[in-house]
Amino acid sequence: MLTQIKILTKLELCNLYGLNVLRFSKDKKMKRKAIGLLAVWLLVLAVLACYVGGLSYGLIYLGLEETVPAYLITVSGVLIFFFGILKAGGAIFRKEGYDILCALPLPAGAAALSRLFKMYVEDLLMTLAVLLPGIVVYAWNIRPDAGFYLAGAIGVWSIPLIPMAASVFIGTLITGISSRMRHKSLIGAGLSILAALGIMYGSSRLAATGGDIDPEMLKNMSVFIMALLKRLYPPAVWLGTAIVRGDLLGAVACACLSLAVFAAVAAGVACFFRKISQSLYGNFAKHNYKMGELKENSLLSSLCKREFRRYFSSSIYVTNTIIGPIMGCILSGALLFTGTDTLKELLPLPIDMEGMIPFVTAGVFCMMTTTATSISMEGKNWWILKSLPLSAKNILDGKILMNLLLILPFYALSELLLIFALKPGAGELLWLILIPAEIILFSCVYGITVNLHFPVLEWESEVRVVKQSASAMIGGMGGFILALLCAVIVGIVPKEYTDYLKTGICVVVLAATAVLYRINSRFDLCGRI
Amino acid sequence: MLKMEHLTKHYKGSNKGVTDLSLHIAPGDIYAFIGHNGAGKTTTLKCVAGIQGYDAGTIQIGGEDMGKNPLACKRQFAYIPDNPDLCEYLTGIQYLNFIADIFGVGAREREERIKKYGEAFEITTSLGDLISTYSHGMKQKLAILSALVHQPKLMILDEPFVGLDPKAAVILKDIMRSICEGGGAIFFSTHVLDVAEKLCNKVAIIKDGTLIASGDMEEIVKQGQSLESIFMEVVEHVDTN
Repeated sequence: MLTQIKILTKLELCNLYGLNVLRFSKDKKMKRKAIGLLAVWLLVLAVLACYVGGLSYGLIYLGLEETVPAYLITVSGVLIFFFGILKAGGAIFRKEGYDILCALPLPAGAAALSRLFKMYVEDLLMTLAVLLPGIVVYAWNIRPDAGFYLAGAIGVWSIPLIPMAASVFIGTLITGISSRMRHKSLIGAGLSILAALGIMYGSSRLAATGGDIDPEMLKNMSVFIMALLKRLYPPAVWLGTAIVRGDLLGAVACACLSLAVFAAVAAGVACFFRKISQSLYGNFAKHNYKMGELKENSLLSSLCKREFRRYFSSSIYVTNTIIGPIMGCILSGALLFTGTDTLKELLPLPIDMEGMIPFVTAGVFCMMTTTATSISMEGKNWWILKSLPLSAKNILDGKILMNLLLILPFYALSELLLIFALKPGAGELLWLILIPAEIILFSCVYGITVNLHFPVLEWESEVRVVKQSASAMIGGMGGFILALLCAVIVGIVPKEYTDYLKTGICVVVLAATAVLYRINSRFDLCGRI
Repeated sequence: MLKMEHLTKHYKGSNKGVTDLSLHIAPGDIYAFIGHNGAGKTTTLKCVAGIQGYDAGTIQIGGEDMGKNPLACKRQFAYIPDNPDLCEYLTGIQYLNFIADIFGVGAREREERIKKYGEAFEITTSLGDLISTYSHGMKQKLAILSALVHQPKLMILDEPFVGLDPKAAVILKDIMRSICEGGGAIFFSTHVLDVAEKLCNKVAIIKDGTLIASGDMEEIVKQGQSLESIFMEVVEHVDTN
């Protein structure tokens, strides 16, 4: 069985991040795009390295150096766990290749384990991206002895195991439950969102400095942070402490514990893999359709309906793109209960907090747009739209309209809550409504622009499109970054100038949206994609 | 109906594709397009269907130029690929309605056509099910149904008989003949030379991206010989040269 798992894992890893296709492709355009994408990734990694390095240096500067490894392990653990919940089901139980694997003389769980190992490698790379810059800063400043490095080397590979095992457990549970239902994707997406929101709420409660914290602890920040991390994710503190102290036995114990937890979950997934897959891809054909009255739809309405059906057919697509609008409503609702005064107390910064709210709302709504991956999601069906008498404008309008209609109810609710919370005057009300609307519109158009230039139509799993593609990264978060930048600028500028600044931002964003829309509408879909 | 003049399409970094291909398909023609695997049949059909661009040459459908007015061209034909990857998240009827909406087919007409062809291909009862539950043959039938729902003047089919059961294959051949009798045209690729010989009035043979023979079936298939032997003869002759 081990040999078979090894062969399958090799096959899974062979095209990690699309590297195999890139290696053997003779398409120079594709290679140029890949180099561009690599540059973007390097930029993201550089930003992450600066952030992590800066954070680590800050902790060291405050004399809290012993918290650095534990802190970094917690951050990578939380990232792996949170993103893992959203992708685990799709990554492990993906349909592509399932039939062929089943027909091969392989043990039932071998395919599941190979997919788990692929996930592990991806998560380990993420862990290293978070950990390494911080550890370099730590090592440079503290000059630890050999024990630190040895314990680190023993422990580092085990860091993703527990958070990954937890996310895989939840992902498998959700997939297992939804596989028995008729509307699998919708139920799967709903359960994933509920799980993600529940975990976010739970972790915020755990991290909250409630009354049960010993005031003596606050005198020693190091002890306080460690206590906080211990409440959030105890294994991070155990391993972090073992690494700082060069405790090899402690590091081995932590690694063994992680491995045991992972092995238990992996065994469970391997055991239920075939059963869940069969139920997931089983036929629900009724063969009882009777011709009834058919209705005509306009071109746009028909394209938009098709987009909605595509959207709700994929749980990973839904979970990754709906989180933003839901979070937007939750934050607006929270503001209604807490009021802006509490916000000012929590963040005592000399900035125009209320002036930033429309931008922050817009940013949260635009955390991941559907348009940024909507062309890639067509995959093998792309030929249909290309062979039909549809212009690029027709096709892209359908995708943009779907994204806007999806956000609309959340936007309306969020605006209503904000109006009740802030009780704005006429001027503020205008900005409160206009700014998020414009940035949402921009992010939808910008998302599709990026996807037109970075489409991924050959994919095995939707995870490749929704979570790993260039378009999802560059296009999906365009509106979020724009809103964040605008919020910072508006927050810094003196209050008497903010109205002019907001007017300027609105004009520029609208103009940029119009220009992008015009360029996209003339895009040569057949010649370039 | 369909005019290809000096069509050239090469894939970047590869010597595959089609070179200087010219074909004329008139109303009433059932035109077979034959050649070995990788000869350039699908590439040609994809260029004609506007799915991929081409490097040189012109494609005209019903007098409209594909390069200049692709939408006017696309309104006149239906294309069915060799592997019918249809929208698996839709039910059969939703897919047919979508195609009918795009071509602006009226409610009554679409109802009549879906009923007529759905019953002929025996898939009416499955139209309420998701396409993901369909077999390869059923997907092929649905793709054919979606082409017929808007009554195209030209049908471009890539290996249309693959996956069809014998009854459906016979029905499709009858439909192809009736479309041509009504002034339409069919351009299709196939490996089944026997079908091509019996069904088509014209044939084109392609090898390594170059057209090596084309014209009336009767002229190409000499007396006492089958299309199969002619195909082998022509291909070997090109190889020898």
